[in-house]
Amino acid sequence: MKLLTHNMLTSHVRGVRPGGGFPLRIQATEVKVNNVDFNQEFVARMIPKVEWGALVEAAESLGHLSDLPHELPPEYENNEDFLRKVHHVLLEVEVMEGILKCPDSGREFPITKGIPNMLLSEEET
Amino acid sequence: MAEGSGCAGPSIRYFCTAGRGLEPFLLREVRARLGATQVEYVSGKVFFTTNSELSKLKKLKSGERLFLLLKKHAAISPSRNKGKVFNEIQKLVIEDPRCWLDIISIWKRLHGNKVEQGNLSKENPESLKRKSEEEISIIRKKQKEQILETVSDECHVEEQKKSVVLETNDDMDFLTERKTLLEETSESRIEKSVDSNNHSFSFRVSCRCSGAIAKVFTSQEVGRVLGITLVKQLGWQTDLRNPDLETFFWIHFLYEVFLVWNLPFIVCRLPLATREYIQTAGLRSTVAWAMASLAEINAGAFVLDPMCGLGTILLEAAKEWPNVHYLGADINDSQLQGAHENIKAAGLMDKIELLKASVIALPLPSESVDVVISDIPFGKKFKITKDIKLLPDILREMERVLHVGGTVVLLVSQDVRKHMGGCISNCVENDTSLNATSDNRNGAAMVKDLNPKEENGSPRSISSSIKGVETEHFNNITCFGSLAAVESYGISLGKTDAFIYKYRKMPAAGMQ
Repeated sequence: MKLLTHNMLTSHVRGVRPGGGFPLRIQATEVKVNNVDFNQEFVARMIPKVEWGALVEAAESLGHLSDLPHELPPEYENNEDFLRKVHHVLLEVEVMEGILKCPDSGREFPITKGIPNMLLSEEET
Repeated sequence: MAEGSGCAGPSIRYFCTAGRGLEPFLLREVRARLGATQVEYVSGKVFFTTNSELSKLKKLKSGERLFLLLKKHAAISPSRNKGKVFNEIQKLVIEDPRCWLDIISIWKRLHGNKVEQGNLSKENPESLKRKSEEEISIIRKKQKEQILETVSDECHVEEQKKSVVLETNDDMDFLTERKTLLEETSESRIEKSVDSNNHSFSFRVSCRCSGAIAKVFTSQEVGRVLGITLVKQLGWQTDLRNPDLETFFWIHFLYEVFLVWNLPFIVCRLPLATREYIQTAGLRSTVAWAMASLAEINAGAFVLDPMCGLGTILLEAAKEWPNVHYLGADINDSQLQGAHENIKAAGLMDKIELLKASVIALPLPSESVDVVISDIPFGKKFKITKDIKLLPDILREMERVLHVGGTVVLLVSQDVRKHMGGCISNCVENDTSLNATSDNRNGAAMVKDLNPKEENGSPRSISSSIKGVETEHFNNITCFGSLAAVESYGISLGKTDAFIYKYRKMPAAGMQ
């Protein structure tokens, strides 16, 4: 699971307040860093879709903050240096093993071989 | 997709087979990718002219097999009189030997291009040597594949009892071929290929018959007649064991005869539908590509397949539209494992991510996805009687996670479609198979342009029955909640028929 995907995941157990269950807290036991080709335009396009605060928090919790600022800087589109850092955090850092924890309900979702298991039991939906 | 026609060189007339219902996709594709002109089609076959390089032709994603078009010939009436039909077949060679020679020079030119590119690995006479050793098993497989192909490409053969397909030789066994090729070294091959450019070549004809004619002739008989005529008329040498050229003849007795000729090791020994980047395909790759081509996938988009299975749709989409974040979800571990292996083998780990989740409870915020694309499973995994009740929930969840203005592209079986009738009123119909014009009884809504590239003035010649469907204006917009049907296509999945539906999420009524 890359942090780009993590940034889009919410817990959806029954009873979570609207808009809640986000961001899922990561407790990683294995993190891998891959080499992914840098595509400046792609990264710049993804940033508006990302919850910036959640991304920074997730990166920090994994020890891969990579000097990302806590506030999204203005006019980042042409800031290659900044976009490369975001690229690294969004696409190169990958959680292989661990759990995702719902901030509201405490429900834990295991991550195995990089694939989060977000399947709920029938009672939970 | 829009790469223009690229290379110089004279225009060559080709035809490409397509799964039934995929012809409109192939039409669009040859225009967009190859700048093809004189594009026309009949059921299962698209004819076009282009001067594009072979490497570009091989990138066609919605076609099955590519052929050089030798000649379109007037109908030969099927007859029980063998001599008469043999005479007709001989005449095809004798009357116009020029076109046979022309096609050889076209082949040589294409072949020459290949040599310059130093990319001979897939088309090589040497590899044919091994074929004889494996012939028996190959023939068995061939027969199997022929049946498959008959289903997908030649459904009209069954429909039109009088139609006949004659075929000589073929390059069906791509798996064996591929394996063989991998075992070979490349240097000797290049020499041999260059060589075969410069002197007269040997060829082999083997033939197969199906349909009504198979009751009258054996494949061998027809193959022999063609072979002998070519030897007599053009002085070609036969070599059954190790020919330079393995020729592929296809005479199709329907309303007219398309006499076509493929030199299989130059115009795609491997079917176009074979994808070197897909290890294990779930859905047919051509159908997966066609679905993705409808989905309006733009750079920077977030695309979800909530029932991804082995990930075929995501693989096809990510290869063609790379600057996109793809997410595949499935509830089945072994499917996810298969998808993971496929993605890894295709080198798309950085584009596609996987998730174990249920399509009716997606762990995604509302309005967070740009495109939802999925093959709604049916058959083994999806019991129509029981699980069909989930269909409204599936659609509702897709609607929830989708942005306003986003698209949903679904593949549904005929059975599922019937049930969808319950949740989606007035299903849109744009069945593009030739005999489908009568299927517009429900008069659903559609205004669309199959040929957005048409304004550049290239000639348009599409059989009129299809044009009729295209320009059909329908009365009703069909919806599920805020999902409005935009277009639909009836396609064949071999044994079964299925439908590709495209929806767009409209703004909620209160927000308009």
